[in-house]
Amino acid sequence: MEDQDKKLEKTETAENTPDDTKAPIINIDNLSMRQLMELDACTRCGECSLWCPAYEQDKKEGITPRGRAKAFKDIIKAQHGLWAKIFGRPKVTKEKLDQFVADLYECSTCRQCYEVCPVKIDTVELWENIRRSIVDAGCGPLEPQKNLIQSVKSYDNPWGQPRSSRTRWAKVAKRKKKIAGEPKDITRKKADVLYFVGCTGAYDVNVEPVAINTVKILDAAGTDFGTLGTKEKCCGSVLLRMGDNEYDRIAKENIKQFNDLGFTTMITSCAGCFKTIKHDYPKTGKLNFEVKHTLEFIIDLIESGKLKLKNEVKMKVTYHDPCHLGRHSSVYDAPRKLLNLIPGIELIEMERTRENSRCCGAGGGLKSGYPDIQNKISQTRIKEAEETGATELVSACPFCYQGLQVGIQALDSKLTMRDITDLVVMAIEDKTEDSIQ
Amino acid sequence: MHMYFKATALLYTLTVFTIIILLVGIYANIYLWRKGKAKSLHHKLHYGSMIKALILDALLQAQLFKQNIVRWLMHFCIFWGFLGLLAHTTFLAIMSHFLSPNLSFTQYIFLGPGRQILDVWGDLWGLILFIGIAIALLRRYIFKAEQLDTISSDTTAILFLLFISLTGFLSEAQRLAALDFEPYMRYSFIGCPLASLIRSMPSLTINYYSIVWIHTLISIVFLAFIPFSKMFHVFVSPVEIALDASEKKD
Repeated sequence: MEDQDKKLEKTETAENTPDDTKAPIINIDNLSMRQLMELDACTRCGECSLWCPAYEQDKKEGITPRGRAKAFKDIIKAQHGLWAKIFGRPKVTKEKLDQFVADLYECSTCRQCYEVCPVKIDTVELWENIRRSIVDAGCGPLEPQKNLIQSVKSYDNPWGQPRSSRTRWAKVAKRKKKIAGEPKDITRKKADVLYFVGCTGAYDVNVEPVAINTVKILDAAGTDFGTLGTKEKCCGSVLLRMGDNEYDRIAKENIKQFNDLGFTTMITSCAGCFKTIKHDYPKTGKLNFEVKHTLEFIIDLIESGKLKLKNEVKMKVTYHDPCHLGRHSSVYDAPRKLLNLIPGIELIEMERTRENSRCCGAGGGLKSGYPDIQNKISQTRIKEAEETGATELVSACPFCYQGLQVGIQALDSKLTMRDITDLVVMAIEDKTEDSIQ
Repeated sequence: MHMYFKATALLYTLTVFTIIILLVGIYANIYLWRKGKAKSLHHKLHYGSMIKALILDALLQAQLFKQNIVRWLMHFCIFWGFLGLLAHTTFLAIMSHFLSPNLSFTQYIFLGPGRQILDVWGDLWGLILFIGIAIALLRRYIFKAEQLDTISSDTTAILFLLFISLTGFLSEAQRLAALDFEPYMRYSFIGCPLASLIRSMPSLTINYYSIVWIHTLISIVFLAFIPFSKMFHVFVSPVEIALDASEKKD
């Protein structure tokens, strides 16, 4: 029966060639039975639309989770449904599919829709797998997003930088005496802890102080750690979020590399890498180590007495929950605990925090696909942060750091964007000029 | 004479036909689901979490309660009102078609004090359903709640429920109006005042069997409509709520 169906699809695909107005057949093998059921579970209540950060800036029904679910259901029912099989497939126009694809990628995969969905549809995994099907059909991702994907495939990082430059931040930091020495290469000499720097922390000069801070903290605590040096590869998050199947290869290769090294704990300062390695990798293969966000590890160091926070850091700060650390990984208390452990810090919460924290708009390919929308989303978050009266906006994700900076610059805000490690370094060192400003 | 609606061959035929359409509709949906080849679950099923979620978020709709009490009241009334009436109709159908009218229990239900329970039961759940529908209509068409995006299937679903509810009350009123008033009728606390109105204004009288047939036809068409509409969520959403709770446990 399935063979017949595949023949029908092949025939249709062949028939599509001369008809430019007809959409190609979308292969739905990438989705699970549960995900296809979820399309029917949507009650169209629209709670998602009240919270969607993209819809808040661009009032198009098609980009709401409700709208996307309906549009996709209509397309696949026409192409794969029982009635299509019995009576023939009604035409799905390419225009309709193109519009759906544009709407599908106007999403930061922030997971707010899942949090508020009364029937708990696992929306982000659904969008990611639909994106896989769209990419398979040659209809996605969007043109600006293709550069990021191609870069990951060619250079193992999304920023188009050569592999050899991955450790440039450490070399420069050592030369400028910001760190005592380059972290040891864990592939040559074993260590208990692997610090997975992540592509943004390693390549973006504005964000690389996150990596420098982390090394300073680990050195101060006497942690036996190392990095992968130039052998570190992108975690594949960019590919997974945008629906590229190459993610599976990258994940498998990374898992094998990690497992073979024999370290006990991996830490990363990037919420995106953290979510991907901790929660997505186990769906591909077993990990033989523990994965922690850097801030969780720092709390361990403080509580075990290995790290002393000796300086008072008198600052009014507000904390932005990164989506991949918060809603995707449920790490809400740890960053607040760390901020409260730093002497002198006054934490003032924004109106929307934790599960309902506003997204910075940088994730899921939205920043590259729809920079204007991301800019507006970021500005909305910055205004919310300004309302607290805090002078510092703190987060725990290099990607959010980049995303929120967009809003700070657009609004010419007086807020200073900081990574949480920046505050820890201030508390352990006398000088703070290396902090990211 | 208790004048409850009696089944006919036509009703049985229509019911069987409706159930066939319902099952075909469900099969069509499952047919599509089965095209999905990726892994549905990443962890073992955790039955305790599933049961807890079903009670809290499917039966009591706690998540909705936390979000918006008006929406919760609307959905809760429609959900429980419909279930209450379904139980009423199912009970009556079993009593009428599968039990002998000479049984003392049958006599108790149709001619004795049992009918008062049935009358209160029917009107109470009918009223609860109607309150839910009224809130839904007001939110969607009068106050135009920000989050709603009305398409034809939304309107169709709500109209089905509205007509089922209205024709239900009307059937009960016409049934009672066709009989001389007796004190037990007061237990039909909505049907009885409506019946009094009909008795005082004979022009409002409609043949009881006609209106009950209309009520029945709308109800069975609605049943057949479920798998082809967003109403299919009544079967699917609880499954998703339970599976999510199980996956989240790990």
